[in-house]
Amino acid sequence: MSHENPVVTGLGVLSPLGAGAPRFTAGLLSGVTGFRDVTRFDTAGLGAHRGGELTDFDPAESLGAGNFRPLDRTGLLATAAARLALDDAGFPAGAPAPEIGLVLGTMFGSLKTIAEFDRRALVEGPIYAKPMDFANSVINAAAGQAAIWHRLPGANATISGGPAAGLAALVYAGDLLRRGQAEILVAGGADEMCFESFLGFDRRGELLANGADPKPFGADRRGFLHGEGAGLLVLETAAGARARGARIHAELLGSGNRFDPSRGSDAASAADAAARAMTAALAQAGLAPEAVDVVSAAANGSLRLDRAEALALGRVFGARAIHLPVVAVKAQTGEALGASGAFQAVALLAVFATGTVPGIRGLDTIEPDLPIDPENGWTRPLDARVGLVHAASMDGQHVALVIRKGTP
Amino acid sequence: MNPRIVVTGIGVISPIGTGLERFWSGLLAGRSGIRPITSFDTAAYRVKNGAEVPDFHAADHLADPLAAGGRASQMGAAAARMALADAGLSPSELDLDRAGVAMGTTSGEPLEVEHFDDLYVAGRLAEVGPGFLGRYPSHTIAGAVAAELSFGGENVMIPAACAAGNYAVGYAFDSLRDGRADVMLAGGADAFSRITYTGFARLGAVSPDVCRPFDKNRQGMIPGEGAAVLVLETEAVARRRGARIYAEVAGYGLACDAHHMTAAHPEGDGLARAIGRALRNAGATVDDIDYISAHGTGTPTNDKLETLALVRAFGERARTIPTSSIKSMIGHTMGAASAFESAVCALAVGTDRVPPTIGFLEPDPECDLDCVPNEARELPVRMALNNACAFAGNNASVLFRKYDS
Repeated sequence: MSHENPVVTGLGVLSPLGAGAPRFTAGLLSGVTGFRDVTRFDTAGLGAHRGGELTDFDPAESLGAGNFRPLDRTGLLATAAARLALDDAGFPAGAPAPEIGLVLGTMFGSLKTIAEFDRRALVEGPIYAKPMDFANSVINAAAGQAAIWHRLPGANATISGGPAAGLAALVYAGDLLRRGQAEILVAGGADEMCFESFLGFDRRGELLANGADPKPFGADRRGFLHGEGAGLLVLETAAGARARGARIHAELLGSGNRFDPSRGSDAASAADAAARAMTAALAQAGLAPEAVDVVSAAANGSLRLDRAEALALGRVFGARAIHLPVVAVKAQTGEALGASGAFQAVALLAVFATGTVPGIRGLDTIEPDLPIDPENGWTRPLDARVGLVHAASMDGQHVALVIRKGTP
Repeated sequence: MNPRIVVTGIGVISPIGTGLERFWSGLLAGRSGIRPITSFDTAAYRVKNGAEVPDFHAADHLADPLAAGGRASQMGAAAARMALADAGLSPSELDLDRAGVAMGTTSGEPLEVEHFDDLYVAGRLAEVGPGFLGRYPSHTIAGAVAAELSFGGENVMIPAACAAGNYAVGYAFDSLRDGRADVMLAGGADAFSRITYTGFARLGAVSPDVCRPFDKNRQGMIPGEGAAVLVLETEAVARRRGARIYAEVAGYGLACDAHHMTAAHPEGDGLARAIGRALRNAGATVDDIDYISAHGTGTPTNDKLETLALVRAFGERARTIPTSSIKSMIGHTMGAASAFESAVCALAVGTDRVPPTIGFLEPDPECDLDCVPNEARELPVRMALNNACAFAGNNASVLFRKYDS
């Protein structure tokens, strides 16, 4: 096992704040949101009507001309974000590349494709179901399509884990690099907003209605908005990155993955799992909590998850939690599911690069007993070198990752 | 120095029976679980056979089946409970913060989407409740396993389609070697579904009768279902508690065809590279391998290309290493398939017996392997290789070594 930490050398982001990591960063710092009325499907009869939809996503912008028909939207988002990340890392299209692999986190993957495939068979009969749709019905279709498009023959894997999937994929990719199972991996997550997922969250009463914006950690928070997108990072071994003279955005120092056996139903048990994941990540990084300059939170405005996360920060950081800089990107992107973990990681790289921490939009009130600093409502300068990302599913998975700015 | 990782428990819910004893004795006896489908009406299909689990009743295994989730989650949790008991462990004696789960699947909980779609086409979407989103996402399978046993450690779901079980075993292997867990449950689960069946039928991949891997007249695969879970722990922990050790997990390798979504690479490139990586990871050579559990789906192309990949990886020795496919007996259990086959490899090195490929009638010059036709065999098995190939070109190979203290 390599004793050197894997490093981040490329960023590819397609978010409701715009295409490309620079627009994501600019959007975060300017305090705008990516929320609009949903146009991809009819929301009549549902409680919610707004979300973080990528209305201007055009795969040709990054992929050039090509036959996009074999890919569904999740596949296109992942494939286009992979191109952006590979370009940023210095692996341009068409140039001979080493054995690169891909690890994609997703909550739903193929849900829209699988549902449409099934409905066509139901309505018109099984012999009318489309084989091409079946190819995309598997949950790992997007990862496979991206590998085919970019000719990535290294390890190819998909991780599911709800909104924790993207961060879990980054962690898994880092472990594969440490273990020599791969040398270079494009890793992160993707999910599309589709009618089936939107209705599913709506029926759980978790989506905001009435034009409201999410308020992570807020005393008056009522839920989240459904987002979508893709965030992929190029990870590679430090030795490999040095050998090819790559620019190194950050280093992965340590990670933790823990489960809440109450599956999110018990706030104390959820907070315990989140705290155990963060503690494990710090232990693997060999750092005390004091070394963490900034946290990128999973909080999306939901009642239970935000509370569990804040309580976990209180447990891990003690009295310092109330002074801790915390970023909550989902106030501006919505809950982008599989893409969220990557968005959260890229937000930390944005803090490292700009020396500025984006304020949590809408943080005008804080749930009284949560140890969150009201200063986090303001965009402000911060000289940060080490950050902690925490991601969580709604039902038990908690993942934490500690990253450090720049070169090892 | 890496600690050695060993298999100490196995739990299965299979088309040929529930529990390790019925599964293993059934495989060695060449029993088939392939039958006409009963879970949905096949009148509109030209093919009719599947490998369903006929006798799974979640309430026999789980305290609260409804809380566990959909059918795949229930089967996964039940198999996990059986595996842990087989290992002689109970949650009360474990450090639950360091007890983890890695599971694989192809479709997650497709029955939940089917229910959604039934309501959709009937104009009854108003009846979709909160349970749809609570039960559909595939990570709920790993969640159900961990919740059933109160496991609070690592929890990972790898939906790498039909290679997913091997990915899960590989994940658990690294978790234990890195000291991130004391015990890991690794496996796979998939529920029989009309979606999966329709898809493979539309690809022309489903056999009208049985599954005859490597036979000249093979006509396709048979979709199946089930769950298989292995208990993995470090050798030191297993020996300290006097556990029975089936086998050592020696290593694994992953590689991608990056070629086609549903067809394997024409020269078996990805699988051959996955095998090569697994051998390097295990510090083994091709001469150490005495048995191969083939992906062996029984489709005309898979078995031919898998033969090419084996020849590429093993040279002429590929023709003489016993290489069987249990998919001839339990069908293609999707994300559970390579978990079942991992159990088979662990048992092969543990017992020096290997299961047959049943239904074999006529050799195919393009599949000139020793596929252990129709009769189980006794032979010394030092190392066993488990190959799995999936949609999206995902290949994963895992190596099991005879445990020698």
